[in-house]
Amino acid sequence: MPVEILKETWTGAVQIVTLGATPAEGGTRGRTVTVGGERTLPFLHFEAPMPHRPALAVEIKDRRPDDWSPVLLRAWGDVVDDPGAWAQAAAAAGADLILLALSLTDADGRPTTPAAAVAAVRKVLSACSLPLAVFGPGQADADNELLVAVAEATKGERLLLGICEDKNYRTIVATALANGHLVNARTPMDVNLAKQLNILITDMGMPLDRIIMDPTTGAVGYGFEYGYSVMERLRLAALQGDRMTQLPMLVTPGFEAWKTKEAKVGNGVPAAWGDWEARAINWETLTALGLLEAGADILVLRHPESVRRLRLAIEGLMKG
Amino acid sequence: MSRYIATRAIRGANALVTEAEYMLAKALAEKGPDTPVAFPNTAYYLPVIYGMTGIAVQKLGDLKPVLRHARSLLHPLPAPRHWTPYLGETLDCGMATLLAAEAIEAIRFVYGLQPEPMPGFRLAGGTAFTSPDAGDGREATDGHLNGPIDDIQLRSWGIQLVDGRMPGFAAIVGCAKSNEVAVEIVRQLQRRNILTFLSGNVNGRSIIHQLIEEGVELGYDTYTVPFGTDTISAIYALGFATRSALTFGGLKPGQAREILLYNRERVFAFVLALGEVDDLKYAAAAGAINFGFPVIADTVIPEILPTGITRYEHVVSMPWNEIEGKDDREKAERLVQKCIEVRGVKVKVVDVPVPVPYGSAFEGEVVRKADMRVEFGGKYSRAFEYLRMVDMDEVVDGKVELVGPDFDHIPPQGHMDMGIVVEVAGRQMQKDFEPVLERQIHYFINGASGVQHIGQRDIAWIRISKAAADKGFRLEHLGKILHARFKNDFGAIVDKVQVTIYTDPEPFHYWLAKAREAYDYRNRRLADLTDEKVEEFYSCTLCQSFAPNHVCIVSPERLGLCGAYNWLDCKASFSINPTGPNQPIKLGRLLDPVKGYWEGTNEYARIGSHGAVEKVAMYSIMENPMTACGCFECIVMLIPEANGVMVVSREDPSMTPAGMTFSTLAGIAGGGLQTPGVMGVGKYYLLSPKFIAADGGFKRVVWMSSFLKETMVAELKAVAEREGDPDLIERIADERYVTTVDELLVWLEEHNHPALTMPPIF
Repeated sequence: MPVEILKETWTGAVQIVTLGATPAEGGTRGRTVTVGGERTLPFLHFEAPMPHRPALAVEIKDRRPDDWSPVLLRAWGDVVDDPGAWAQAAAAAGADLILLALSLTDADGRPTTPAAAVAAVRKVLSACSLPLAVFGPGQADADNELLVAVAEATKGERLLLGICEDKNYRTIVATALANGHLVNARTPMDVNLAKQLNILITDMGMPLDRIIMDPTTGAVGYGFEYGYSVMERLRLAALQGDRMTQLPMLVTPGFEAWKTKEAKVGNGVPAAWGDWEARAINWETLTALGLLEAGADILVLRHPESVRRLRLAIEGLMKG
Repeated sequence: MSRYIATRAIRGANALVTEAEYMLAKALAEKGPDTPVAFPNTAYYLPVIYGMTGIAVQKLGDLKPVLRHARSLLHPLPAPRHWTPYLGETLDCGMATLLAAEAIEAIRFVYGLQPEPMPGFRLAGGTAFTSPDAGDGREATDGHLNGPIDDIQLRSWGIQLVDGRMPGFAAIVGCAKSNEVAVEIVRQLQRRNILTFLSGNVNGRSIIHQLIEEGVELGYDTYTVPFGTDTISAIYALGFATRSALTFGGLKPGQAREILLYNRERVFAFVLALGEVDDLKYAAAAGAINFGFPVIADTVIPEILPTGITRYEHVVSMPWNEIEGKDDREKAERLVQKCIEVRGVKVKVVDVPVPVPYGSAFEGEVVRKADMRVEFGGKYSRAFEYLRMVDMDEVVDGKVELVGPDFDHIPPQGHMDMGIVVEVAGRQMQKDFEPVLERQIHYFINGASGVQHIGQRDIAWIRISKAAADKGFRLEHLGKILHARFKNDFGAIVDKVQVTIYTDPEPFHYWLAKAREAYDYRNRRLADLTDEKVEEFYSCTLCQSFAPNHVCIVSPERLGLCGAYNWLDCKASFSINPTGPNQPIKLGRLLDPVKGYWEGTNEYARIGSHGAVEKVAMYSIMENPMTACGCFECIVMLIPEANGVMVVSREDPSMTPAGMTFSTLAGIAGGGLQTPGVMGVGKYYLLSPKFIAADGGFKRVVWMSSFLKETMVAELKAVAEREGDPDLIERIADERYVTTVDELLVWLEEHNHPALTMPPIF
């Protein structure tokens, strides 16, 4: 008996967003990254083709991180002392774009200055031609201070600026508007808050093709399901035609997975947990894979091996 | 529209356009059409011309079409005998004035007459006109006024204007009554973080001269920028505004309408005209009104009050010598407040100025008797709090007054009577919001470390700890807290807040009586507010993070199931946060008045639940009942055998006749599922005449947790009387006597409960 495959037809589509600008477009990037455009749930190619494959961002820091797992530091080696070299290594590892996360303080514990932040960003831009996202330390005041300086120094690059949240979106959006950048709108795992922030940002005059939303997530075992469900609902609302939920989604499985005990701690854990490094990478990979199925358009990863595995997974999924 | 103003503005515009044409003709002859024309350090050419017309003026010759356009905008003077609406003509002439003024300043730059020379003057930071390495040894900021603001400063200030750190800008034109007044006005603006641009003169004397004579530093660093001593230089303020829209609004040159609207909606600027207003000033003011910037004059001029182009009034006259106030400082404060009010500028208070730590972390803090310095209310004394809305001019924003003694003379752990009266005014304020705001007093006061607040209205009870008193906390600080928090949290509806604290017995009792009148009025108003009297209900999606497909529809007679949001709360919440979780639902056509179906509510239920729910009946538990998230105060559930419903409260852990406890039932009632016969509600909904009205109303209640009976004795008694059976509550079983259906049926028979003889519930 022939089986009829039922197909869902949606009225809405995810917004297409391009990160980075080439010299012809007013920037200095070697190429750009475009995400979005989905017309159905992830990888259901029989319903509608997925025009842009999900992109992989590799997170690097402006200096050697204080709180990263030794497993990660080992994997990257000495490049973590130089953001330019680190960005090159990340590109070699297969990144589609670089996410530079600025530290709250310098190595001596003094607050990071706008000048230092700009210098780090310039280093990355000149060392590596991939599109760039720059995230502040995650404290609204510090983010404002550093990102405004960065945005002005890199006018026209179409950087993705974060973290743009409820507390400081006005400043970040204003500087992104004035300098031709994009914003990463982050809300704490809530459909309505995500939608509201998007409304507020567009209300300031930011075009939809310059906003990525970041619904936040948890690692596997640490609230992952909650984040998954929020993303799924955002995507369903987007496909049903709700304009303010139609933005591509960025999530940070690297950050989430590498702060779990399973990834961070190697000693004094049950033997059944197995090899530390393998476990940690699996944690990041599995978290990221799940998020891909939830509708993530940009995955921010930390370990080069996770990047390799996710690339393979995406290639497989894109074949259908 | 004042014909007087129209006449003078149109006359001023004609004169200025003519002057610009003359100057341009002369410059073209002397310098040639290819002479470069530019303002320094900007990528926006001559910004007003660029924004309004899209013409990128780069050389003198480019100004010709600009002035042609300006001339085409001019209108003849209004005929003295015919009354016509002049607003459009006046606004056109205003725009022509701006184009001409900018052209004139550009030509002056060509002749080296801008920035305006001012020998001996030193700017405290300003636009650099000579490159630092030009080698002439002269400081770039010496010997001249600022002229136009450069792009770098525009970005820095622009971001602050857009993100709200800077509430807006003031363009002051003219000359103050005296040097002292000039200083006071500028100080009042600086104190509020409002950017100030200075220009213009009266008979040759400018506010710039006045401030320089008084030693006030002018320049970027002091947020007070001297543009020039003639009215024409005020054009730089509008150039700044235009560039803000181009830079931060994502707008393109030539999108005149959008640029003007952007400024009206987002750039909180106003013009303060000091001293006599001449034709040119009227013409320039008409130009500013195009941007939505109102004009406030300190002299007697005709006013243009109806709104339309600006948000509120267009032109307001506030003659200096008629302003109330004991000295220049007070008068200046009132004048500046008026400006802020007319433009709708929202000034934020950054910190709560109290000598103890402040934050929501202290909200739950308890002050025990042993640690207490003094208490107000409770067993031994009385405290009340009353918030009322008054007219704008009856409130001095930020004023905190203590009428009567502070608590210093009270012995430790003593008590005294105290009343807090908060008076608020705001363009968006409504009388209905009074109780909504008043309830916030509890949270605001509790935020101070060492201060405890319990209760509300005239049963408020406040304790101040010894530690807080030792740190200097006194009664006035209650007022300071309330001012800061109301301005910050409710700035969308409240523009001005003044607090008076009464400890003197006579005014205390006077105000207590007034407060009680108000409480009484509000109670009656609330009782009077029925579903039939409004045109919209409100949605509440606060809980959608927990129950994605649940939507509360809040009506005057059915509050949110959490008990925390009634219809007025939702209305206020929408005013404060128009993109927030409470949105109005237009009722539209009434489909069924008994069950409570409207086109609007059904449509919203479908959209808000993402298609999970097709319809919702506002007044029925049996047909399409409203869904619930999980935070309901009570669960109402059908008991088929009893032909009625039971009501279990969250506080009641015991077994119910349904064979399930509250926590088990919650699984059925919550999660956004529509289950006929089960509903989560707020406990005050039980008292509403609309409580399951379609199914027979309150008389259907056959069993109810004793907690509800005990905590709402008086309210339930009133319901029983309304239902025509004063003993109704005694006929309702509770968990103390009945925990099974069999017991329930026996009870109902014994107590002759009306449900037994009502028509079948389904």
